[in-house]
Amino acid sequence: MTSSQSASFFQSTFLNLRRDFFSSKIGGTVSLLLLTLLIFVLWTAFDWAILRAIWLAEDHQLCKLDDAGACWSVIAARWRLILFGLYPYDEHWRSALGCFAVVLTVVLSCIPRFWSAKKIGTIWLLGYGSFYILMQGGIFGLSSVSIDQWGGLALTVFVFASVAVIGMPLAVILLLMRRSEMPIISQTTGVIIDVVRALPLLTILFAAAVVLPFVIPGWMHGDKLYRVILGFALFFACYQAEILRGGVQAVAAGQEEAAKALGLSYWHRVSRIVLPQAFRAALPPTINQFVVTFKDTSIITIIGFFEILASGAAAFGSAEWGFAYVEVYVFIGLIYFSFVFCLSRYGAYLERRHTIATR
Amino acid sequence: MTTAPEEIAIEISEMNMFYGNFHALKDINLKVKTGERIVVCGPSGSGKSTMIRCINRLEEHRSGTITVYGTELNDDLSNIDEIRCETGMVFQNFNLFPHMTVLENCTLAPMLVRKMSRTVAEKIALGFLEKVQIPEQADKFPGQLSGGQQQRVAIARALSMNPKIMLFDEPTSALDPEMIAEVLDVMASLARDGMTMVCVTHEMGFAREIADRVVFMAEGEIVEEAPPEEFFKDPKTARAKTFLSQVLGH
Ligand SMILES: Nc1ncnc2c1ncn2[C@@H]1O[C@H](COP(=O)(O)OP(=O)(O)OP(=O)(O)O)[C@@H](O)[C@H]1O
Ligand SMILES: [Mg+2]
Repeated sequence: MTSSQSASFFQSTFLNLRRDFFSSKIGGTVSLLLLTLLIFVLWTAFDWAILRAIWLAEDHQLCKLDDAGACWSVIAARWRLILFGLYPYDEHWRSALGCFAVVLTVVLSCIPRFWSAKKIGTIWLLGYGSFYILMQGGIFGLSSVSIDQWGGLALTVFVFASVAVIGMPLAVILLLMRRSEMPIISQTTGVIIDVVRALPLLTILFAAAVVLPFVIPGWMHGDKLYRVILGFALFFACYQAEILRGGVQAVAAGQEEAAKALGLSYWHRVSRIVLPQAFRAALPPTINQFVVTFKDTSIITIIGFFEILASGAAAFGSAEWGFAYVEVYVFIGLIYFSFVFCLSRYGAYLERRHTIATR
Repeated sequence: MTTAPEEIAIEISEMNMFYGNFHALKDINLKVKTGERIVVCGPSGSGKSTMIRCINRLEEHRSGTITVYGTELNDDLSNIDEIRCETGMVFQNFNLFPHMTVLENCTLAPMLVRKMSRTVAEKIALGFLEKVQIPEQADKFPGQLSGGQQQRVAIARALSMNPKIMLFDEPTSALDPEMIAEVLDVMASLARDGMTMVCVTHEMGFAREIADRVVFMAEGEIVEEAPPEEFFKDPKTARAKTFLSQVLGH
């Protein structure tokens, strides 16, 4: 870039700024006020979180001083409790690896290159297999850890990934049943979806955890965690089925006719023509649904699971750290943010990918 | 005169079709021989689309019979599949699959339905894309093509299944005038190759040039059936006369 080019670049930026923010007296005043406010807020946050912060665990006495900022000592001292919950201390590496296995599985299955039934199936089998072996133990010389002791980030990620991987196919099945030409099937499905959507998530999870064991035979009980995941997945699926139905309505009627005219079978029409287009049309609300679901995993605390928000609460639960809850929540907030941010970037990537493809 | 049964491509007899209570097709009788080229015309709403859509079960007839190469169209799904494999269809709105490239559009059904390998299917598809004169567009997406190009892809896609019969439902009606000719050219060359064709169109020049027979429909009935010279010069019915004067009038 030559100097004259860069000069004109700055000049045009300046002109644009002046046009957008300072075109009138009132506009200019408001702009200035807001700018001052913004700088003030950012500076306060920066001052609190960085400049006056106490970083080391052994310095935690300093946190009590009047001019102390954020007390990150709490994170330094208690991060293992936050991330791993009640999982046995010496086995934390297993929880970390298990968490990594699930995250890797999710990331790999987001890559278009692996989108075939066989590859995705293998990835999930390996990912879940290693998660289960690592977390549960009992073989390969790993000590056995009961599900009650699972917790923290590993549990949050596991519940989210399981809900998604069970809920998505279930959503497709519900969608197809809802679209069935047989009124009994489509209407029954419609009622199921409406009922499940009408219930609060918490009710469904409680029913799965507490009520279900009374109504199904003992050998089907499984662990409470798995029942809760299934209930959660059903809830997810009912919402997602409706999202996908919206997507299907955006697919032109001629598409299915053309596929019929070519002799494609029902399954091929659905899997090659209708669903791929429906998923594209429904992408933004689908990503939204994933984000909501990720955050909703925190609700399982109430049924007695020690996911990351609960283990965070435990981290400042002792008298010693009781004052440092803001820092703990900021830390957990950042973890949530990084996951959700990745999800929404991924959504943006997918949207870009097929606008380029179809332009 | 008797024709050997295998020479009869499509036989429709006493066929009735209803949309709910609306009687859309009334006692349709039509025989199409192998290699014959039929042009179907008639005023809007006369049931032309409905009739050819019955032939591959995009619409379901209520009574009468439709037989395609000896296979009767009934509730037997394998019969329906068989007939759909033997008949290609081209729609007014192209109906290409927007999420697939041109080549993928043409290889999908041969690979899934005819169980061809990808290499064979691509070779065949490229052959037909060449025939419709757009082999260079094979890797583009439908949205990147002009209307005329899209319709030619749709023809190539139907041909890639190697059908014995081609059905056209107003293939040029959604096209800008300058693109109509390129599509009609492709259709005319298909006709010269001896393809059995049933074609709903308002392109009377095309009908005159390539049709063996013109079928004129009105209000759900076949009103008149005649070779094009006869139909255009000397239509028998008043309704056909009115229709022709409207279509050819300007
Ligand atoms: N899905 C439908 N439901 C109810 N009635 C229909 C449906 N499709 C078509 N019809 C009616 O059936 C009659 C025949 O329609 P069809 O589309 O076959 O006419 P067409 O001859 O192809 O007309 P055009 O030249 O306008 O395409 C029309 O009166 C139309 O209103
Ligand atoms: Mg029509």
